[in-house]
This record gives sequence, structure tokens and C-alpha cells, in this order.
Amino acid sequence: MRHLTSLGFVVFAAILVAVPLTAGNEYELRLFMLFLIYGVIAVGLNVLVGLTGLVSLGQAGLFALGSYTGAILAVRLGFDMLSASIGAAVVSGAFGVLLAYPTVRVRGVYLAVVTIAFGIIVENVAIEWQSLTGGTTGLSSIPRPNIFGYRISGFAFYGVLAVTLFLATLATYNLKRSRYGRAMLAVSQSETAARALGVNATAVRTLAFVVASVTAGIAGSFYAFLNSYISPDIFTFADSVRFLLMVILGGAASTFGPVIGAYILTYLPEFLQQFQLWQKFAYGALLLVVMFALPRGIVGTLWMLVQRLNPEKREADPAEGISAEQSLRHDVRDGEAELVARDLTVRFGGLTALSKASLRVKPGEVHALIGPNGAGKSTFVNTISGFYKPTEGEFELDGIQLTGKRSHEIARIGLARTFQNTELFGELTVLENVLVGYQQRLTYGIADALLRTPRLRREERESRRAAIGLLTFVGLDAYANEQARFLPFGLQRRLEIARALAAKPRLLLLDEPAAGLTTQEIDALEEMIRRIAALGISVLLIEHHVELIMAVADTVTVLDYGQVIASDTPAIVQEDPRVIEAYFGASLDAAKTEDVA
Amino acid sequence: MSTFIQYTLSGLAIGGIYALVALGFHIMWTAAKAVNFAHGDTLMIGAVLAVLGVDAGLPLWLACLLGVAAGALFGILLERFAVRPFTGGTTSIGWMLTTIAVGIMIESLATMQFGGFSRPLPSPGVEKAVHIMGAGIYPQELLIPLVAILAMVGLKFMQKHTLVGRAMQAVAHDKRAAALMGINVNRIVAFSFGLAALFGAAAGILVAPVIQVSATMGTLLGLKGFAVAIIGGITSAPGVVIAGLLFGVMEKFVEGYISTAAREIIGFSSMILVLLVFPQGLFGKREVLKV
Amino acid sequence: MPSHMLLRGQLLAATVMLGLSSTLAMAQQQPCIGNSAATTGPAAFGGAAIKMGAEIAIDEINAKGGVLGKKLSFVQYDDAGAPPRGVDNTRRIALADKCVAILGGYHSTVAVAQAEPVNEIGIPYVGVLAANTKAIENGANPNYMFRVSAKDKWVARFLVEQALKASKTGKVAFFYENTGWGNGALPDVKDAMAKAGKELVATETFNWNDQDMSPQVIRARDAGADVVLFWALDREGNQILRSMDKVGYKPTIIGAWGIAGNLGELAGPLADGVEVIQTYTFMGDMDPKKKALWEKLQAKYGLKQPSDVKMPSGVANAYDAVYIIAAAIEKAGAFDWKKVHDALYTVNLDGLVAEYKPAFDAKDPERQDAILPKYYKLTVWVDGKLLPIEQTKYGKTN
Repeated sequence: MRHLTSLGFVVFAAILVAVPLTAGNEYELRLFMLFLIYGVIAVGLNVLVGLTGLVSLGQAGLFALGSYTGAILAVRLGFDMLSASIGAAVVSGAFGVLLAYPTVRVRGVYLAVVTIAFGIIVENVAIEWQSLTGGTTGLSSIPRPNIFGYRISGFAFYGVLAVTLFLATLATYNLKRSRYGRAMLAVSQSETAARALGVNATAVRTLAFVVASVTAGIAGSFYAFLNSYISPDIFTFADSVRFLLMVILGGAASTFGPVIGAYILTYLPEFLQQFQLWQKFAYGALLLVVMFALPRGIVGTLWMLVQRLNPEKREADPAEGISAEQSLRHDVRDGEAELVARDLTVRFGGLTALSKASLRVKPGEVHALIGPNGAGKSTFVNTISGFYKPTEGEFELDGIQLTGKRSHEIARIGLARTFQNTELFGELTVLENVLVGYQQRLTYGIADALLRTPRLRREERESRRAAIGLLTFVGLDAYANEQARFLPFGLQRRLEIARALAAKPRLLLLDEPAAGLTTQEIDALEEMIRRIAALGISVLLIEHHVELIMAVADTVTVLDYGQVIASDTPAIVQEDPRVIEAYFGASLDAAKTEDVA
Repeated sequence: MSTFIQYTLSGLAIGGIYALVALGFHIMWTAAKAVNFAHGDTLMIGAVLAVLGVDAGLPLWLACLLGVAAGALFGILLERFAVRPFTGGTTSIGWMLTTIAVGIMIESLATMQFGGFSRPLPSPGVEKAVHIMGAGIYPQELLIPLVAILAMVGLKFMQKHTLVGRAMQAVAHDKRAAALMGINVNRIVAFSFGLAALFGAAAGILVAPVIQVSATMGTLLGLKGFAVAIIGGITSAPGVVIAGLLFGVMEKFVEGYISTAAREIIGFSSMILVLLVFPQGLFGKREVLKV
Repeated sequence: MPSHMLLRGQLLAATVMLGLSSTLAMAQQQPCIGNSAATTGPAAFGGAAIKMGAEIAIDEINAKGGVLGKKLSFVQYDDAGAPPRGVDNTRRIALADKCVAILGGYHSTVAVAQAEPVNEIGIPYVGVLAANTKAIENGANPNYMFRVSAKDKWVARFLVEQALKASKTGKVAFFYENTGWGNGALPDVKDAMAKAGKELVATETFNWNDQDMSPQVIRARDAGADVVLFWALDREGNQILRSMDKVGYKPTIIGAWGIAGNLGELAGPLADGVEVIQTYTFMGDMDPKKKALWEKLQAKYGLKQPSDVKMPSGVANAYDAVYIIAAAIEKAGAFDWKKVHDALYTVNLDGLVAEYKPAFDAKDPERQDAILPKYYKLTVWVDGKLLPIEQTKYGKTN
């Protein structure tokens, strides 16, 4: 499959070289140059929409920012095209950061409306700030394209645009294959799981916004030089819709999709002219048809066909992997970690979900946390993994204060978890899911990712080997290249464990791992927990399944109404009258059947 | 003083339209967690059909009634064919783009049918201005905010005291549970979209004598109505109506004391700021993150 | 890459570059006249008017044997009022269709944007509607931008003159839309006032689709203006009239031709007495020349009454522009951009709107415009009709 993409890049380069040689007249070539500019926007927007799953309907605003910045730098300060475009990229990028900020608090439609508002604000500021932007009359007499003061020919300008689009496409392809691309996909599919694996969701979204706005900024500046005239009505809401449609039509998250989408939508108005009065109608109808007939876009649909005709090998070669024992070994310090929670209290409004709950997971032990429904187990888990803020109390791992830290920070300190309702990255493969877990152990940076340096290649190879080893460890190596959402439920649970282990945790938090499993699967799980403990990883097990707890737990803590009512070895806890009382006055065995019902 | 009253009254008139549009967004959102992005066009549909009806010789009241009915039908069809197929997915891109697409098509059709010019819709409410403490205003304009408030009260009443209203609330609360209770969720969602579009078309007809009718009349009103819904808290009917009225008044004062030009900049910036401070809007309910 | 391939690449690049520096006349230009205008969207009537005027003129010319023995043709592309599309269309007409000249459209912002490619390519452009001063007076030399239409600078002078005549207090307010057209006119109106030794007492702006203009109207009223100049379109013009009605403000109103469309229908009796400048109208009494043109319009486009022509100035300007271009081609003796450009300065013609002698003047940068202010006509809204002012009661009192 990778060969197909490489071939794609060769063909793409050949087309870019061939077009100016075959263009019939200047008009045709200019139209193609316009496509190259739109292509740059679409490729950048794809990182935001396709990879990170955020909708921007304000891309025309960023495009306008770049356009105006480039034009103003050139007209008023005499910058040449390259430095003006760099300036445009910086300004747009800064606004990208600004735009990303609301995503901390709002998502989905709210975000879409924020971006629409942003576009309208930019348009109106361009209209109002007459002294700078020329107001509604616009900015004319933008100099011809020039580099270091030398005016360049139309052909050379074409070259600049073609190289820019080619490099932008290549860079986003590299980004997609790196830890950053995986983190973006992960955040878009399950932010919760991504954060629990140490992915800083805010940083990832900000990065995506910056990529989308820097590309829009550069494209805007080039556009100003191509057109030599800009005015506010060039950058409207309809243009933002068109940019988004380029990505969707071509195929969101695909490498060449946005380029193809940009090509079609650049030439479409020419084609639609023949419909005269009906051209806007035809445009709307086309948009509708695309959404129904090609929801995955052109390239996405083709890619699916290719994969159906020529399916990839499902399994990974276990020989390629490094064993879990080897990859999870803690080198210097003794890896066995101690979790201490002191007097944790969590209140939601008037409801106290957790009241002065204390708990200690001793180094290397398997510690079970049980309690009837509503006892506060989930609250406890979500609090120590950083999803809820405790109202009072504190908790620490090996003496490192965790209170007040955000979930991805806690994950990086060494606490990994699974989820009661599995939170897999459904559209990623099984192997990629584990690679996201490995994320926080990688050290290469964004420059390595864009340039695909040897360092990146080395680290990626290592992480792949470790991931395959972990899949073998949980018995999923035969499914490595399958999409996670197609796995049977029992295997999804195992995948979550492998993914959590990939983070090389010192404490693993299993949130009801046996729920929904068959008896055989529970036996396998029991054995797996022992093997994990044997790796020197402390385990906190939240579970209802009593037999499993009796079999694997070293210590059992019982929660009831948010309070710890017992904490001791399983045998002792089992006989504790308060525990029996908590389970509706019945014995634990009876409680078990209660839970099944 | 008369200037102050003038701005307030004019602002309430425009704010009433924002409120009615925003109320439509509220109804759609609570039912489906999706909206018609081209909701502004339902205003246009109502008003354009009313004018065409009058052109065809229908009495004014009948033309208006037909306009409202057609608007409601449009809402139901739109939900069925452009929104419902896309509400299952994880992202909202699907229904955003399909509803935008339908909006483009409807606007294009209306332009062809209606020409580029604005057209008046006759109404006794704009024949003569009334004067209140030195400020002049058409009776029609005074009517708009009243209708917005009545619509909100009516909606609340319906949700409390009628079967379909309670079903709407059940669906808004939890679709799956509502379905288990024997509520036909799809029908309630379709009804909600129809009701929202009905409000939209009625708002269009109500405002048409004041702002004139054209194919593009709804675009900006729709966007601002959405912004208002977000500011007020899209989950709260009184919230969006209050926000709508305040937004309209704020616009007039910005126009009066700062400049006309600053209106959009200040309006949309304040929307973003409100969202940053109150992610659920001023009066909206906070949704707890479930892990 | 082997060196001979590099060399070949450079050679090819060189040929392409030659193609790009397009002033080198590649081939003969074609006997066609292009036009980029809005034929869809709210201003579609502008594009329609241009098409009518140009096509009738071309039909007439072709019936008499065409130009230089060749039949002229007309190519119209839609720009929907969007400058980038106007620029694309300009290049398409010049470089793909190779038309000998291009007619301008309705939107001033499009015209301003077109100036750049027009002068770069060097194709004669004749504006027939958009009145923005700077679009034509752009400082280029040689300047390929011409206009057979009103020019805001002259319109401003004309309207200010009328305003001061009508004003008792000498206090004039100016209402303009916040677009390229409105903002472009602001300095023109200010200059015209300054020349008359006066200053505007209020300058008020508004956006398209604004519903209520009471703040602006109140400010103008409180400034004491008794004449208001409009640079607005019908829709917003109507909103201003209604806001004036609400706050009880009744100044004399004189407007540029944006309110020549259907203001009478929108505003009803409020529009009565609103004066509008135009270059041409089919309303009122018709002389034989006008009658002949009207009958052709009726026959070809199925129009019923003169008020069906929503932009009569556009029809007449385009008609005259085509005749001027045709005459220039004859004089140049070739379908060649540069030669036609030079010949445009020598054309003398008795047109519908004006007597052009000559149409343009190479020595005066202001005279890239063919229609002099003395040919501007004042019309007035009466009972929903826009009539020549001298044929109404408003004309008689003046």
C-alpha cells in the first residue's frame, strides 16, 4: 500500500512538471496556479478536519489574514514575496493558536460556529480598518511576484507554487504517519482514551489548527501576488464552505484527496457556467450528491476498493516483535510502584460521590477495588486518572504528587488505565492502537516528523517491534492490521490492556475488565493479570467478578456510599460483616448473582 | 432620551427576529443534537411564498398561511432527507454540509423565481408609524418581540401540558430511553424540525413588511440567530429568547454610539467571548463529561 | 538529471515564458466582444441589461455587414459580483477567447480588480455600468480602461450641485453603502462639496441587508441636513426612507442610480419625489431613436412595458459602447488590441446617450470616460414610476 502512495507522489510530480509545458494559453496556466493555491489550503485543512476531526468553517478568514498580511507587507513595507509569505504564515499561525483555544472548552457545532464568527470578524475588520486594508475598495497594485527584489517570471512563480503544494502534501503525509498524526486520529476518535495514554489533546488540536492556518496563510499570500488585487468580498463564508468541501470531496484524512478535491472545485465554476442561472443550484446539488454518494470522498472510496481487492495481511509477524518482558523492563529504579490516595472527597453539586476515601496500592501487588453499584468506584478511578478533580484530599504515585495534574500528565508519570466501556480508536488498526499507547515513550519532535529523519525511523521501528510484542503478549498478533472496531468484544478488552501496557506504566488500572466476557475469557484474563503483575507492574483492579478477585487480588478494598468500609486480604474481607451488609445484607456469593442480573 | 427609546425599540424589533430564529435552533437541537444550518432560508421561504401568493391574487392572510405551512413542510422534508441520514455519525460535518447544500439550492431557486430585487409584502402594520416618547416605530415592529415571547411561552406550555410536548422533552433527555418507552423518536424529531421551520417561516412573514423580501434575506438573520442561540444557551428556550432581544438592542446601541461598521465585529466577538466563559451559553445546561 | 534534459527544460521554460509575457501579440484577436458581469444573484438585472444593449447593437452592426467584413459576436461570463471571478473571466476573454475588447459589468469592486489584468494584458476594456472613479482613473499609462457610463466623481459634482440648489440651509448629508461603490464615492462627494465651499454635515454608512437605519437617520436629522444624497441600492434606500418616516424626518433626497430599480414598488408613496441620476431612460415620452430601440427590445426579449427594463442606463451604455468599439476597429483596420486602443481616442459618434466627439481624449486622464456630466439625466420617482424630472411636477418647480 505504501508503494501506491509513493507512486502517487511520482505521478503528482510528473503532472506538476507537465502542465506548464502543455498549457494552451496563459489563462489555462493561471487557473492551474489558482488550483495549486487552493490545494495548499485544502492539504492543510485536511490535517484539521481529516486527522483531528474538527470542523472549521472559517478557513476563508485565515486565508484572508494571510492574503492581507502578505499584501500589506509587500505594498507598505516593500517585502519580497518570500518574506511577505513567511510573515503571512506567522500571522495566520498565531491566529490559528488563538482559534484553537476555544476547543479546550467547546467542540463540534459550537466550534463550527466559532470559526464562522471568526471568518465574519476578519471580513469586517478588513472592511473597517481602511487605513491598513483599503477597506471595501481593497488593496490594489500589489507588486508582481519577486524574490529578493528580483521580479520572477510567471513560470518561476508557477514553480514556487508547484513546489509549495508538493512539499505541503508530502509534509502532511509524513505528519500523518508520525506520532503526531496518530495522536490526532486518536484524539478525534476517543479523546478520553488518548488523554489516558498521555496524549495532550489540547496541544494536538492546537498543532492541527496551526498547520491548517499556516498553510492557509501562505496560500493567501501567494494568492495576493497572483491576483495583484484583494478585497474583503473575496473571502466569504461561501469560500470557507468550498475549502471544507475540497477536503470532503477528495477524501478526508487521505493524502491526495484534498489535492483532487481542490482541483475539481477550482475548475467547477468554469464547467458550471454553462448552466447559466442554474449554476449555483447545480453547485448545491453536487455538494448534496457528494455527501450521499461519496461520504468518504473520492480517494477514500477508491482506497476502500483497493483494500477490498487486495487485502493487507491481517497478522503481524511475531518474529518481528520484542517480547513484552524485554520492552517493559524498567531499567534503573525498581519499577514496582506504590499508589497512595488520602481522604479523597469528590462532590458533584450537592451529591457526594466519594467521601474521604483512602487507599494504598502496595508496590507490585494486585489490588482489587469493589463495591455495589453507585458506591463510587468509577468516581475513584476517574479521579486518580485525572478526569475528575477531587474536592478534597490528595493522591500520589511513588511520592510524586498527582493531585491537580491533568490526565495526560498523570499518564506520563506512569499510570495507565483501561475503560469500563471500551474506548478504542475504532478506525485505527489494532497495531496502531498499541502504537498510540507507545506515544509517550517516543522522543522525536515535529521537525523529525515532517522530514522523516533517521531518528524518527529508528524510534518508529522500535515502537513497532514493541507493539507487536505486546500484541503477542495478549494474543492479538493475528489481528494486527485489522481495524479495531471489527474486533469481537472480548478481544477489544485485551487490546485495551495491550495499549495501556505500551505506555510502559508502573501502575495499571483495570476498570471492570471482566464485564461482558465469557467464562473462558475470564480465565484467560486472570492468567493475563498474573503475567502483568509478574512484569513488575502494580495493578489496581475494579471488578464485580468475585471469583476473579479471589483468584488474583492480594488486597481488596471495599467502597460503599463513597466510603471505604474495608481493606484487607480477600479472605478477611469476605467475612467482614460490614461488607456483607453493604451487599444488601447478603453474602458475597449472593451479591454476585445480583450483579449478573 | 427619545434617541435612547428609539434604539431600544428598534433593537427589540430586530432582536425579536433573532429570538424567533434562535428558538427554531433550540427546538431542532434539543430534538436531534443537529440543526439546519440554512435555517435562515426558512424565513425566506415563508416570506417569498407569501409574496408570490399575493401576486397570484390570494388574500394576504391565506398567502401568509400557505407560506407558513410550506415552511413547516420544508423543515420536515429537510430533516428526513438531509439531516437524519447523518445524525448517527461521530462528526457533524455530514448534516452541516447537506443542510448548507439545500440552503444554496433553495436560495438559487428563489433568486430565479423572484429575481434579484427585493419585494415588499403589504401589511397594515407598516402603513403609519406610531410614536412613543418621541421615538417612531411601526406597529409591526412592536409585534415581533411580543410574538417571540409568546412563541417561547407557548412552547414551554406545550412541553409541559401536551403529549407531544412531553415526548419532545423525553427525546431531548435520552433518545434510547424514550424509544424504549414507546415514543416514536423519528416522528418526534421530524415534528421538531417542522415546528422549528414553522417558527422560521412565520418569523420571515412577520418581518417581511419591515425588511422586504428577497432571496437572500435569511442568510445573515440565520447566522445571527444561530450565534444568539449559542450565546443564550441552545438548550434553554427562555435563554435564547432573552439573548436574542438583548443582542438586537446591543446592535442598535453599537450602531448609534460606536458605528454601524463595528456592529458585526462586536457582535460576533462577544459571542466567542461568551462561549469561552460559559461554554454552554449564558442560560444553557452544563453537560457532565462521562468517562 | 542529465544535462541535456535540463537544457531542454530551460528551452521549454523559455517558450512558456514568452507565452506568459502576453503583450507580444500571439495571434490575431477575434471579432468578438466579451463581458464579465453578474448574470446570477441579486444584481443579475445588471448583466441582463448589458447583454440586451450589446446584442442589439451587434445585431444591427452585423446586419450591415459587420466590421472589417467580419461578423461580431458577444461572449458573456458570469462573475456574480465576485472580483476574483471577474479577474478570471477577464483573462479567459482575453487569452482563451482572444476577444478584441471587453465590456465591464455592474459591480465597482469587480471593475477595480479588473484594472490590473486589463492593463497587464493590454486589452481594451470599456465599462458600461460600474461608476467607481478609480477603476478607470487608475494612473496607468497607457491606460486600457475606458468607460461609457457615469463616473462617480462627475456624478458627485452633479448631485452636489442639485443638492445645493434644493437646500435652503446649505446643510447636506451623505448616506452611502459600505461597499466598494459607496466608499469609493465618499471622497468624490467630499471633494465636490469642498469645491462648492461647503462641508457635509453628516456622512452615514450602512451594510447590505441592514434592516433599520434609525441611528444614522437620527444623526443626520439632528445635524440639520435638509438634503440627503444617497449612494444606495433600492433595498437599503427603502430602509432609509422608512427609518426617516419613523423618526419624522423629511429631507429632499437625491441619489446615484442604485435606487433606480424598484424603489417605487418597495417604498410606495415614501419614494415620491426622490430624485435619481441616470444616463438613459425609456420612461416618459420617447423620441424616434428611443422608440426604435424600445421596439427591438420588445421584439427580441419579450418585454411588455418600459419599466420592465430595470437598468435602462446599462442597455444604452452597452449599446453605445459596442458602436464605439466597432468604429475604433474600423479605424484601426485590424482586430488588434493596441491598434484598437489607440483608435478609441479618435472615434466620433452620435450615440443614444450622448454625442461623442471624440469619445475619449488621450491627453486628459479624466477623459477615459466618454459620457460627460452634461448628458446625465435627472429622473424622479412618481407613483412607482421613475420619470424624467422635466416631465413631472417636481421638474416644474425647479
